[in-house]
Amino acid sequence: MLNNFRSAKARKGFRQILILASRLSPLIFFLFLTLPPAFGQTPFYQGKTITIIVGTKAGDVYDLYPRLMAEFLPKYIPGSPNVIIQNMPGAASVIAANHVYNVTKPDGLTIGAIYPALYFDQLSKKPEIRFDWSKFNYIGSPIVSNHLMYMRTDTPFKSMDDVRKASTPPKCGSNGTASTGYYMPKLLEETIGTKFDIVVGYQSGGDVDLAVERGEVQCRAFTITAYFAREPFISWRKRGFVRVLFQTGTKKDERLNDVPTIYELMDKYKTSESGRRLATVVLAAGDFGRPLVFAPAVPADRVKMFRDAFDKIMKDPAYLSEAEKSKLDIDPIRGSEMQTLAKEVVSVTPDVVERMKKLMEPGN
Amino acid sequence: MLEAFSSGFWQVLSWPAFGYLLLGIGIGFWVGLLPGIGGLATLALMLPFSYTIKTPIEAFCFLLGMLAVTGTTGDLTSILFGIPGESSSAALILDGYPMSKKGEAGRALGAAIMSSLLGAVIGALSLAISIPIMRPLVLLFGSPELFILTIMGITFIGTLAGASLIKGLLAGGVGLMLAAIGVDPQTGSLRYTFGMLYLWDGLDVTPVVVGLFAIPEIVDLAVRGTSISQAPKEKLKGVMEGVKDTFRHFWLVVRCSLIGVYFGVLPVLGANVAQWIAYAHAVAGLKDRKQAGKGAVEGVLGPGAANNSTRGGDLIPTIAFGIPGSASMALLLGALLIVGLQPGPEMLTSRLDVTFAMVWILIISNIIVAGFCFLILNHLAALTFIRGSLLIPFLVVLVFIGSFTANNSVYDLIVTLLFGALGYFMVLNGWPRPPLILGLILGKIGENYLWISTAAYGAKWLLFPSVITLIILTVIVVAYPTIKERRGKAKYDRPEDAI
Repeated sequence: MLNNFRSAKARKGFRQILILASRLSPLIFFLFLTLPPAFGQTPFYQGKTITIIVGTKAGDVYDLYPRLMAEFLPKYIPGSPNVIIQNMPGAASVIAANHVYNVTKPDGLTIGAIYPALYFDQLSKKPEIRFDWSKFNYIGSPIVSNHLMYMRTDTPFKSMDDVRKASTPPKCGSNGTASTGYYMPKLLEETIGTKFDIVVGYQSGGDVDLAVERGEVQCRAFTITAYFAREPFISWRKRGFVRVLFQTGTKKDERLNDVPTIYELMDKYKTSESGRRLATVVLAAGDFGRPLVFAPAVPADRVKMFRDAFDKIMKDPAYLSEAEKSKLDIDPIRGSEMQTLAKEVVSVTPDVVERMKKLMEPGN
Repeated sequence: MLEAFSSGFWQVLSWPAFGYLLLGIGIGFWVGLLPGIGGLATLALMLPFSYTIKTPIEAFCFLLGMLAVTGTTGDLTSILFGIPGESSSAALILDGYPMSKKGEAGRALGAAIMSSLLGAVIGALSLAISIPIMRPLVLLFGSPELFILTIMGITFIGTLAGASLIKGLLAGGVGLMLAAIGVDPQTGSLRYTFGMLYLWDGLDVTPVVVGLFAIPEIVDLAVRGTSISQAPKEKLKGVMEGVKDTFRHFWLVVRCSLIGVYFGVLPVLGANVAQWIAYAHAVAGLKDRKQAGKGAVEGVLGPGAANNSTRGGDLIPTIAFGIPGSASMALLLGALLIVGLQPGPEMLTSRLDVTFAMVWILIISNIIVAGFCFLILNHLAALTFIRGSLLIPFLVVLVFIGSFTANNSVYDLIVTLLFGALGYFMVLNGWPRPPLILGLILGKIGENYLWISTAAYGAKWLLFPSVITLIILTVIVVAYPTIKERRGKAKYDRPEDAI
């Protein structure tokens, strides 16, 4: 009885499979048509695992972008490999960058997600830097970070003009000398002759914002994205607590139409040629955004495959809506453009390097 | 407001939020127990899973529920094995572990769990009460005030020194020096990094604490060749005794909880510092100070309450400004953004129910975990009667996994080993270990706030009324025992051993 029942069940199941297969056959046929010409040869990435080495701790914004990318990469890489994240925090992601450049096999199975300003350390010839920024293979960055500086409205500084003329300079807060909070105001000093007192040592950007609220410092330079997406800035803008004095993009951010760009300011105050070159090198860090890189010797066809996949993901509506949900702005730059930019920034003249070192390392 | 209060409660208890809460508690329970693996690292691991959760309250039930219980179960590991379950539970070792050795594990566990519960409730209530005054409360402390507070914290080294003040001060000095390792935030110069990238960020507290406290105990256990408890095995008793201890020293527990809340509100300081201050406060009030470090139950109650109440305090700046008060809060903030809630002032107005839900999560999760702990306490305490040779391999593995989670770097293991050797030497020669930890944690913070104060205000900050008040307070705290003794009202002996 039981046997009968089983076989009846099995027959029914088999029939269902047949029906399903016949219904799917047009689809299967169609799939065969769309297969790439290399059909027959298994794709390199099939059954493989790609590791994205992230240079920060899990949960950092630098970590959130690659994590989102990891969800979408399998869809666009032939062979749909697994993608996993490995966090390798430390030394402002220099550890991760060194590791990807020197230790991992250049087989295209390891991607680095590192900080955009690491070439500063290379230019100032820090011995711990074991990579050449221009030789990384750039896959792309989902966002280009432009910066701004906000200033409390109850200070007398309504524009950069006021800052230039001030007898007591405004105090800007920063969490370290390697942070935009430090080198943006420094760059303004070097290029347009403003003077800022920079108070360094806060634990995080958030602590600087608290200090501004308390009145300990009055200004901070950081990303435009955060200014429009996060608290406390949303409430600050609502109650007119701060105003924006400048922005770094070559184009104005549409939300900041009445705020001058640094280029306009440099025109206005007739910045010297070497000052402009300095600005180009420093501001390029923003264009690198949140770079995804391969080691130098990764085969060119694999680099191209990932660049293409990256470009497609940046247009994928599902990716964009996920990013929107997580409040991650998307404004991508392509790998090939980053490659050109990387060559430019490491080939600056020694005098610019000297000025940059002075800007970055007040201690030396 | 009352409506939001009850609405928060029912939202936490509704399905599936409550299911998420139980799941979070379950994970947090184990994370707390396992040495070294901290709430912070686990929060980071769990974050991607929370992306699929739909509402802020459900996400918070999962994440905050998990975080809330790690403090409690971390205490258990410290007491049972002398190994910090969390780096914020290390202070529990000083008196809790000697209690286990005396066969009083039950009493110590009872005291730890009950004081943790009380601490958590006080932390949650402080969070609820401070809702109307949250913003001024956070703004009250500028960098100069924070600097003086770290100085006050450093003075507690004296109390934590144990038998020999000189040794304590020296250990504290070593801690302060170790705090100087890394990139100097003011000038960007590298200090004591010896060309090693790992040292750029300075020493991580977790591998240092784990090495300093866990390794010597494991070696000691191996050398003794017995079980942890040196008393014969009987039916575990004294759990109720420990609960009663909590109420016997009720005001001590309340005071230590408030210390925890206070340090939670202040940026950067948090549970890692609060536990030591609370411990110092608790043993300073001992009638017989010779008992400090020898299994005085007050030394369990104080830090047990403080490291749980910080969670409530931690949430205050996060809610009031949308600015995280600690690293774990920064992660929680990220999770909230993903589920579509912008933490910040609106949580004090239109989304007050979410804020109250957090209060309830803190309370409910701690009640659940305390209840559960009491159920399995007998089995846990039985572990202290297992032969050491069976226990050691597990402990060693757990200790190293735990410290590895700090930076996922092999150097974390080397740091653990080095500080393990140092810790063993210190125990052997009667050098106190807590001052070293306190110096390491407070050194960096103090240095930064000193620089910031001077850069922002010149020398003027020394004359701020708030600063002067805090300096006077510090002097009183330091001098009070001596004054009392001079007047002949009390007799203070130093503890007999290093603690």
